[in-house]
Amino acid sequence: MELVLFGLLLLLLALLGTPLFIIISAIALLCFSSQGIDSSAIIIELYRLANAPALLAIPLFTFAGYILSESNTPKRLVNLSRAFFGWLPGGLAVVALVSCALFTAFMGASGVTIVALGGLLLPTLLKEKYPEKFSLGLLTSSGSLGLLFPPSLPIILYGLVAKINIEDLFLAGLIPGILMVVLLTLYSIFIGKRIRLPAVPFSWANLGRSLKDAAWEVPLPFLVIGGIYGGLFTVTEAAVVTVVYVLVVEVFIYRDLNLFRDVPRIVRESMLLVGGILIILGSALGLTNYLIDAQIPAKILLVMQENVHSKVMFLLMLNLFLLITGCMLDIFSAIIVIVPLIVPVALNFGINPIHLGIIFLANLEIGYATPPVGINLFIASFRFNKPILRLYLAAIPFLIILLICLIIITYCPDLSLWLVEKAGTPSGNF
Amino acid sequence: MSVKADSKISKIFLSVDKKLAQVEAGILILTLSIMILLAFLQVILRNFFSYSIIWGDPFLRHLVLWIGFLGASMATKENRHINIDALFRVLSPAWQRRAQVLTNLFSAFVSGLLVRAAFVFVRDEYTAGTPIFLEIPLWPFVSIILLGFMVVTFRFLLKVFFPSQTYRRLSGVK
Repeated sequence: MELVLFGLLLLLLALLGTPLFIIISAIALLCFSSQGIDSSAIIIELYRLANAPALLAIPLFTFAGYILSESNTPKRLVNLSRAFFGWLPGGLAVVALVSCALFTAFMGASGVTIVALGGLLLPTLLKEKYPEKFSLGLLTSSGSLGLLFPPSLPIILYGLVAKINIEDLFLAGLIPGILMVVLLTLYSIFIGKRIRLPAVPFSWANLGRSLKDAAWEVPLPFLVIGGIYGGLFTVTEAAVVTVVYVLVVEVFIYRDLNLFRDVPRIVRESMLLVGGILIILGSALGLTNYLIDAQIPAKILLVMQENVHSKVMFLLMLNLFLLITGCMLDIFSAIIVIVPLIVPVALNFGINPIHLGIIFLANLEIGYATPPVGINLFIASFRFNKPILRLYLAAIPFLIILLICLIIITYCPDLSLWLVEKAGTPSGNF
Repeated sequence: MSVKADSKISKIFLSVDKKLAQVEAGILILTLSIMILLAFLQVILRNFFSYSIIWGDPFLRHLVLWIGFLGASMATKENRHINIDALFRVLSPAWQRRAQVLTNLFSAFVSGLLVRAAFVFVRDEYTAGTPIFLEIPLWPFVSIILLGFMVVTFRFLLKVFFPSQTYRRLSGVK
């Protein structure tokens, strides 16, 4: 009875806006004190933050992403993909999809995509006579597209929390991520054809010019992906190289940012987010340790085994559960809090841990734009100054397509695992 | 619960908070710069000279801890912690203010308990005298956990007493 009361009270406090790390710490403190363990045990667990070498990648990639978003990279990126895809029917929509996906891979889906790229793309889409509803839906649902591509932050965090090789996860996300972009692209072309938008002719001169403009940024994805899979460096080393490269390019070559005027501000901004993530991670380490000691995952498993009899049924429930989670919680907290509880259960149902990671991330990605509380809908409503209900309606066709992708991703494990197995790294049971 | 923002004591507290934030921002920039330079140096050494600085990796890992706590403490100041505020958003301004007093008071209480826990942890490391590498003791590196939670608690308390508008204006949040 007391426990239920405490639970309800904490839930109320959480819904009223108490920081999540406080809620998590409060639960951990309660659990530990109920067992008569000194609260310093929580700090001992938190201190594990300083024992995970791969954690270094989080501040570094976040900083690099913020540098890119504050410079003129978004503009050059849009110009470049326009030169590539602008001639297709519905070309500008495809441009939006591709640039958002690339951008999110580096920014880690913290809503920045909608703010940075959406503001640039919406006026252009409307000027070229794309319907407003279509444009809004497109930009809202693209806000987290690309989350499955390296070096996205949620993938790194998932790898850390679930103790899976991050490089394998990067590979596994590629085809599912491309599937999402391709299906949305086909839909955009279909819409473009139906409303008979005038096609812009393809121009080599244009492509050459925008390639030249972005000449220093084009190699970046290849540097990261090629460097990791060419065996040149680890994920953490790739993060270091990316930061140095991005700093040199944006500050000294393009001179978009001033080292003393802009960079300190960007350090502060990006490290606020990193601090927010790390403190949740740290406080959750204590709690999950307790929950595992108390065999909570085993208890969840027991309940599941009694009620769920097949792998398909389990996956379906997982999808539903994660979609709801994805629109309630932000992706970072969702990964930190839920992964340790779900992974042992899913393993028991015979789901490959890498495949599970991709299902997890794809679900949360879609949850971002799912009414009524998906955070991207709010960001878009704020950024584009449109009522939230209009965005709900606009997002629906795109959500349906993304849900189709989700079903394919969930029920075709090979889509995620093929590349991993091809690359020869031992997949599955780690 | 509102304190006059222009009383002498309020001014002292708020200016302490502002100074703290400036110091934090300075240390944060310094820490990240050292992290980038050292980590980059390690990559170069490892790949081109098959050599690595032996204390480099443990040192870098502890810098992550520093960045985490500095960032978290600044997030407290700017109200930017990750949270779910579904219910908060539908409240009227007057009730929002009441909700803030409640959540900040609760947050101050919980992080106060964490200060105590962190104190025990750091004290134990101090008495045990564990080295981080070579002869260098570990405790100064982990003391950021204690300091961080102390500043976080202080800020949650300030926010209990000052409405968020006043707090933002007087403590220099942009």
